[in-house]
Amino acid sequence: MASTPLTVARIRADVADCLGEDPADIPVDENLVDYGLDSVRIMTLLEGWRREHAVTAGFADLAERPAIAAWAPLLGAA
Amino acid sequence: MTSLPLTSPDPASPDLTSLPLTAAQSGMWFAQALDPLSPAQNTAECLEIDGPLDAELFAAALRRVASEAEALRVVRVEDTPEGPRQYVADRIELPLTVRESGTDAEARAWMRADLAEPFDLAHGPLFRHALFRVGPDRWLWYQRIHHLVMDGYGYSLLVRRTAEVYSALVRGAGPAPGPFGTLAELVADDTAYRASPAFDADRAHWAGAFADRPQAPRLAGRGALPSRTFLRRGAQLSPEATRRLRDLAGRLRATWPDVLIAAQALYTSRVTARGDVVLGLPMMGRMGSVALRVPGMVMNVLPLRLAVSPEATFAELVRQVVLGIREARRHQRYRYEDIRRDLGLLGESRALVGPLVNVMPFDYGVDFAGAPARARNLSAGPVDDLTVNIHDRADGRGLHIDHDGNPALYDDGDLAAHQDRFLHLVDRLTDTDPHLPLAVHGMATGPERALVLEEFNRTDRAVPPTTLIGPIEAQAARTPDATALVTGDTVLTYGQLNTRANRLARHLRSLGAGPGAVVAVSVPRSAELVVTLLAVLKAGAAYLPLDPDYPAPRLTYMLQDAAPVCAVTDRAGRLPDGTGTELVVLEGLDVSAQPWTNPPRALTPAHPAYVIYTSGSTGRPKGVVVPHRAVDNRLRWMQHAYGLTAGDRVLQKTPSSFDVSVWEFFWPLREGAALVVAEPGGHKDPVYLARTIREQAVTTCHFVPSMLQVFLAAPEAAGCGAVLRRVFCSGEALPRETARAFAHTLPDVELHNLYGPTEAAVDVTYHACDPAQAGPVPIGRPVWNTRLYVLDAALQPCPPGVPGELYLAGVQLADGYLGRPELTASRFVCDPFSPAGARMYRTGDLARWSPRGEVEYLGRTDHQVKLRGQRVELGEVEAALAARPGVDGACAVVREDRLVGYVTGDADPADVRAALARRLPEHLVPAAVVVLAEFPLSPSGKLDRRELPAPVFGGDAGARSPASPREAALVRLFAEVLQVAEAGPDDAFFDLGGTSLLAVRLVARVREEFGTELTIGSLFEAPTPAALAARLETAGAAGEDALGVVLPLRTEGDRTPLFAVHPAGGLAWCYAGLAARLGPQQPVYGLQARGLTGDERLPRTLQEEAEDYARQIRGIQPHGPYRLLGWSVGGVLAHTVAVLLRRAGEEVELLALLDAFPAEQWRHRPAPEEGDALTAVLRMAGFERTGERDREDVLATLRRAGSPLAGLSGRALERIVDIVPNHARMMREHEHTAYDGDVLFFTAAAPRAEDWLTREAWRPHVTGALVNHDLDCTHPQLMRDRYLDDIAAVLAARLKELDA
Repeated sequence: MASTPLTVARIRADVADCLGEDPADIPVDENLVDYGLDSVRIMTLLEGWRREHAVTAGFADLAERPAIAAWAPLLGAA
Repeated sequence: MTSLPLTSPDPASPDLTSLPLTAAQSGMWFAQALDPLSPAQNTAECLEIDGPLDAELFAAALRRVASEAEALRVVRVEDTPEGPRQYVADRIELPLTVRESGTDAEARAWMRADLAEPFDLAHGPLFRHALFRVGPDRWLWYQRIHHLVMDGYGYSLLVRRTAEVYSALVRGAGPAPGPFGTLAELVADDTAYRASPAFDADRAHWAGAFADRPQAPRLAGRGALPSRTFLRRGAQLSPEATRRLRDLAGRLRATWPDVLIAAQALYTSRVTARGDVVLGLPMMGRMGSVALRVPGMVMNVLPLRLAVSPEATFAELVRQVVLGIREARRHQRYRYEDIRRDLGLLGESRALVGPLVNVMPFDYGVDFAGAPARARNLSAGPVDDLTVNIHDRADGRGLHIDHDGNPALYDDGDLAAHQDRFLHLVDRLTDTDPHLPLAVHGMATGPERALVLEEFNRTDRAVPPTTLIGPIEAQAARTPDATALVTGDTVLTYGQLNTRANRLARHLRSLGAGPGAVVAVSVPRSAELVVTLLAVLKAGAAYLPLDPDYPAPRLTYMLQDAAPVCAVTDRAGRLPDGTGTELVVLEGLDVSAQPWTNPPRALTPAHPAYVIYTSGSTGRPKGVVVPHRAVDNRLRWMQHAYGLTAGDRVLQKTPSSFDVSVWEFFWPLREGAALVVAEPGGHKDPVYLARTIREQAVTTCHFVPSMLQVFLAAPEAAGCGAVLRRVFCSGEALPRETARAFAHTLPDVELHNLYGPTEAAVDVTYHACDPAQAGPVPIGRPVWNTRLYVLDAALQPCPPGVPGELYLAGVQLADGYLGRPELTASRFVCDPFSPAGARMYRTGDLARWSPRGEVEYLGRTDHQVKLRGQRVELGEVEAALAARPGVDGACAVVREDRLVGYVTGDADPADVRAALARRLPEHLVPAAVVVLAEFPLSPSGKLDRRELPAPVFGGDAGARSPASPREAALVRLFAEVLQVAEAGPDDAFFDLGGTSLLAVRLVARVREEFGTELTIGSLFEAPTPAALAARLETAGAAGEDALGVVLPLRTEGDRTPLFAVHPAGGLAWCYAGLAARLGPQQPVYGLQARGLTGDERLPRTLQEEAEDYARQIRGIQPHGPYRLLGWSVGGVLAHTVAVLLRRAGEEVELLALLDAFPAEQWRHRPAPEEGDALTAVLRMAGFERTGERDREDVLATLRRAGSPLAGLSGRALERIVDIVPNHARMMREHEHTAYDGDVLFFTAAAPRAEDWLTREAWRPHVTGALVNHDLDCTHPQLMRDRYLDDIAAVLAARLKELDA
């Protein structure tokens, strides 16, 4: 089944949502750990993206460089 | 950045690569080094694989993963001058066990046994695999790895990779390239961090966040050293509950771990009664780091500090958790051990965090060539206190929660209770509006709540609506000729007493006494006092006792406050003038014209029976009004519980102003028993009391525990056993030691511990002491028609075992405080657990329920203290101090059982004290008043009571010089024990601030210094140094200093002396019982450690110490044959002394070792730390350590129990705490030389924790025979009377043979 690819805007919105912040307050190129991102939240995001966007990246891939700009290519968001 | 030579080939083994440990690994290394044989650092996991598995291919996969994961190839960890290093082998033999048949249970048993094995860091690899086939298509894969090389996230990497490799091998494909990073990367990363500015910033962050060094919240109420094992209880949070949890987390814009952490914070806060809670959060510590791809040990524990109050909402608490974790995460690389070290907690062995919440959401969604697997953690590493492990295996089964506990702090039941309550709380939290105050949540589970509220309080009992006085009149009518009252030589029958009381009652009625009115009574203890109290009650009025010894201003205040219709006194001038109260003076009063019959009165059970004043925290004493109904219930219950008969005689010795006197006065008169009235002042004199009890055949009496202690110390006490049937204790906490001493001195007499404030008709709980029980003596169960509540900060009931404030409800509650509606409303509050309108009384006492439904008293929630059974509100003392001219600020504290006042300003301390003595009852007058320039303040600006200087008590030194050396010595002892700067030979002990407990200490010191038995009683009779000196003159017998190297236990006798070497604490007092048993002809000398007195340094080796003792022995007995004995460390020393004496060419005819074991048995065991040394000090005094945390606690226990050790100077005790670990160290370093003779050995043969100790270990060090005698006791019990009898019998027989 084809699924819609992720976009940077979608990633940003999802991240902001799980951090309880407004998307506008989440920069794309900063370390998200400083905004409260942790392993549980990454797992939660990843589970959702795997389900809805056929993402193949692993936990370590995302946790290694926790920033939206670094994630975009891994998550197939051009 | 500097480049460090991180890795280097090991010159000894070229195929090994050596690396330093990371800081994270070093923490584990130090923990293991503390106890090298401990398996606590084992981590383990079991994967349950459902499906076919090829064991060969699985082993190949494991081999491949081991070759990829460097951490698994660490084969040695050792300390080097540059710090600990790890050595990684190129290849290793895979430690794999495969069992293709067997049951699940067998496999689990194998795992449990394996998990109990420690790894040897010198001989790796530091992991182990096992594969069990437990069903046709079911396999268990077990891995155990030392925590030094692996953490929880590391396991998930290993498992994923193993599944990947295995699946590829099954497909016949080559596995993808190895994904793991190297240990060198971890080390480099760690080194770089520790050299970075972030490291300094993180350190500053944590140092600032915990600068005030908060106390760690302990669910068990105390901490403990880590154990070698842990207890575990597992539970599954159902998928439905997990869904609700995630749901709530989503609504609160948090994650489910945040919610669980907040729940644990709430639970911890309530259970520990702390608003400031620090939890420990294990963190994987890999975010944004190369460590994400390295299986290894990286995790860290971060402290999370939360403020929890009943008023806040759960949503707010969760928000606090989210923000707190966010903040902590920014500094997450800084090691927990480093935070503790920076705060100075390491040195004090103090924890920073309470329970750990360990969330492991690691991705385990793996399969082995299609066979699904489920992971179960078996051990997550050492458990210091309590760890809540939460595993999310992403397998749709919900969360798995393991509660791990340190077995030194929790048993299985405790752990289960904490887990059940936690799950219950989570359940309620996910089902309740999170915006409600936290106060709506109780910590108890439903069944626990029913237990503590209903089951433990099932006390309903129908009682007739009578009064305090009615049953007394009925009894008088039934047995008019029975003896009612005995005082001195006077005896009154019930008829006579009733007649006298009736006539006085009628007179009082004529003065306005009647139901609802108050009549003051100020009569010293006598028959007249009893007649007067009865008369007031017969008239229908409530009596107000006024202690004739109270100062005039106090009496004036009480008279004005209570406004009695009249005051009865024994003679004129007893009460201050000008109060306007009408006086009834018994002396010369003729009421013979009054009718002798019971007066009529419209008295109901609701009318007040008495008004008793207690100390008030605001400075004004308050009158407690107790109705008839309350005290009638109390006495009916007491009769039911203890069944007084006409043959009983009750001693009345409690002052009438103290409510214990209420049952003393009236209980016997309601039951046809006799009341024996003690002389005024007699209640303070144990010798008088013992004589009275014996001569008057008293069967029932009461003691405040501290006075009971003094009483039991009097030799006359034992003689009371023949007549006494029961003794009641109340008024203050009853120490177990006192209960034990009671059982020893009066074995056939019952001891009952009662508890209750004046506000609830004397007592509301009761407990029969059982000599077989240990631990704190409970205050017990509620009496009839009484309910006890132990409530937390939110007024929710505490489950059993959890401390809270004690509230009382039921028929015995007082009406309140006379004329103080606001104060009454603040202490007698609405009872939410009973029908509307019911009240409960807030005691201010800390307590907890035992699982059996008894309450244990734990202390106070406020500044109220008890001194010798009397309630003292420090606030009242402070208010009185502050009211003096020239006093700016004031505070009062109790130090070593004495009340001390501190003031600032320019007042003269002696004047202030004298002024208070004129205004306050004796127990409220400070023993000393100290003037300070300013009060010491804590960093938060509060008064720091601990920093207040010790007071200097002063005596009348100027009077005269001591007349003899003995007098001089006693003057010195007085000054020392009382801590007064100077004392004169004619200063009375009790005038200088002496208390009964200090008296115990003085007697112990006199015994030490003069070798003379002196009783507490003699101190009452001869209270000054001069008088005591005269008494000692006649008693004779002088001894040496009891702390000297040689302790002459018996110097006379014509046999060859026996030399007994001290155990670890350095004192040889323990051999006194042995000396007594060996008879008058056998001289016995103890050898005691240097350093107990003066500034002597402690020995460095046992050899040096033994050489010293050999010299001392030869100073007393220049040549052999020698007889030597030693218990514990003393045995090792005695053996060494024997070797030295033999080397000098002397004969040694006896070497007796009492449960002593040679050095090599101890060498590899960890030496005790101060905590253990304190345990040893307590054991020397014959106690098992219970709740004592530090030196102060230990000293307090010794003092409370009146132990002679407490009579040691603080300095000597301090030295013992140094001497114990010094001996432990020297023991471990000692090298034995063989002794060419026989050994007489005594084994404490009860099972012991140190089951590896064996006397056989002496064989290499003894060439002769080793003759053993087993004693059925533990090591510390060897010196108890029972076992000493056996030891002495064997020894005496042997000595007799030698003498022959």
